[in-house]
Amino acid sequence: MSRLFRLLLVMALLVTGFALPVSAQDDAPVVAVLTPYLAQPGTQFMVEAFQAAAEAKGWTVNVIDTAGDVAALNSRLQDVVTQGVDAIVINVDPQQVPALADAVAAGIPVFGMDAGSVPELVVNVTSNGYAMAAETATYVVDRLNGVGRVVMFIFPPYPPVQKRGVIAEAIFNNTPDIEIIDQVVPDVTDGGIADSRARMEAILAANPEPGSINAVWAAWDQPALGALQAIEAAGRQDEGIIIVGIDANPQAVEAIAQGGNFEASVAQDFEGIGSTTADLVERYLNGETLTQTTVYVPTTLVTRENARVE
Amino acid sequence: MSVPQTVGVRPARKRRAFSVARWLRTFGTLIGFLIIVAIFWQQRPTTFMTVTNWLNITQQVSILGVVAFTMTVVMVVGDFDLSVGTMASLVGIIAGTLFQNEQPVAVAVVAGLLAGALGGLINGFLVSYVGISAFVTTLGTMTIFGGLALYISGGTTIFGRVIPEAFGNFGREGLVLGSITIPNLTLLALAVLVLTWFILEQTVFGRRLYAIGGNREASRLAGVRVRFLRLLAFVVSGLGAAAAGLMLASRLASANPKQGDGLMLNAIAAVFLGMTMSEEGEPHVLGTLVGVLILGVLANGLTQLNIDSYIQQILTGGIIILAVTLSSLSRRGQ
Repeated sequence: MSRLFRLLLVMALLVTGFALPVSAQDDAPVVAVLTPYLAQPGTQFMVEAFQAAAEAKGWTVNVIDTAGDVAALNSRLQDVVTQGVDAIVINVDPQQVPALADAVAAGIPVFGMDAGSVPELVVNVTSNGYAMAAETATYVVDRLNGVGRVVMFIFPPYPPVQKRGVIAEAIFNNTPDIEIIDQVVPDVTDGGIADSRARMEAILAANPEPGSINAVWAAWDQPALGALQAIEAAGRQDEGIIIVGIDANPQAVEAIAQGGNFEASVAQDFEGIGSTTADLVERYLNGETLTQTTVYVPTTLVTRENARVE
Repeated sequence: MSVPQTVGVRPARKRRAFSVARWLRTFGTLIGFLIIVAIFWQQRPTTFMTVTNWLNITQQVSILGVVAFTMTVVMVVGDFDLSVGTMASLVGIIAGTLFQNEQPVAVAVVAGLLAGALGGLINGFLVSYVGISAFVTTLGTMTIFGGLALYISGGTTIFGRVIPEAFGNFGREGLVLGSITIPNLTLLALAVLVLTWFILEQTVFGRRLYAIGGNREASRLAGVRVRFLRLLAFVVSGLGAAAAGLMLASRLASANPKQGDGLMLNAIAAVFLGMTMSEEGEPHVLGTLVGVLILGVLANGLTQLNIDSYIQQILTGGIIILAVTLSSLSRRGQ
């Protein structure tokens, strides 16, 4: 490499540095979206729907994914505050974002997109965990005509899932002829399916009479899938045991579409959460005062009729 | 100075009055850094070159800085430490777990630092006395520390009221000087920088570490306690990782079993960027500082320019390779 060439390279770098045009800084609102979870499908749907809605409104959207790094998310939040964006949207547990205080101090509104509720947020848009549990629990009660023995899979250590169990239990207890025969807290370190299957196998063994178990209510899909495997492995899939889960993950939707024991789950409307967040940002930027600090986007009960395998 | 001149055997080079290559080699990375700063300044004239933003940047890089500065010590000896990231995560979890058991901040800090020193001792012992390569040893301990962090925490994040307010506030507050506030984390990183610089550049201990990195066998023959000093270098990086883990937990007011994992690769990148600035291609802690600042300024500036975060990653990687390429090309030109 000749010396001249090297010199030219340095000169070229210097010239590029100063010759770049100043990038557009027009009056359209700039909104920063920060998440560490963009690799997860639910987050992706939310962010894409937000972007689509925001771009239709003529905003500049800057999506920042810190790939699981919450410390970096705090740093980037500080940066967009310094940059002076018009609004910030976060999709992360706000309790881990002390840098929110910087946004508040700078008077920049922060919106939660399935984040969690803290006073620093203008509003958080999410799904209602209580309502989701009510949908599947009432589905079970209706399908059994109010009479039957139910196994529950719950998980009290994780607050969003704990909420679901409380509601389902209340609904079953409020139905005189529904009996909760067991409340199982599966070991989730293996993902939740394998241990749930083992626990369900034990329950099936303890209740050998056909018709002695009428339904399995699971607070999320993995235990429901484990229970399904146990029932099929025991050859008891024709006893009419109804299984319901929550979240409508792809594996669950597939099982529901096949029309076996797994009959229902609940899908969160991630696109709806994204576009609703965009609408609320718009209303706030237009000067409206938002009184509701949490906005719930309706969820959909997924059954054989509407289960689509994607 | 007890190290004889034979150490770091290198044929004496004829000194040239001025050479573009030599100049580029030593200052190329620094110039690159200044160009990056100039671009951001020109693109965001009102927000980038401000005291607040630069204080933010120093706070943002403070944790990476502590890991990179102490990683420099290990790399001076010719080893490296892959376990620093998961060690930082583990120490955060240790502190968080102690908080859950109502222990005071002092206990958590001391326990965290002890864990870091112990981890460094294990690494150093395996590398230096048992003779396993640093890569394999620290790859193994990296996995062990990461597993321990997950095991102790049960995979969950420790946050909320269990974290003492004083601990969480430390990472947010700073030294108020009139209208500006110098973040505590910045001051802490500065202290580690000065200490590491002093140890490496101003003490016999530091000179010996460079001698070992230059030629391990010659150092041993010259009477340097190579094995013990290599072990100590790992203890330093373990302590640095522990300090970083505590700083991270304080900044986030929470402890997640994976929150420090990403520090390791960035720290090694920062040391390599810094090495491009040294005449002999050795790691120096002031060079590491420039490396850390390049990474921090890039993240800050590119975010302010609304550059897609995936493009940011590609640009950052490209710039690291460009810097090292320029440096090695100019060295080959000799």
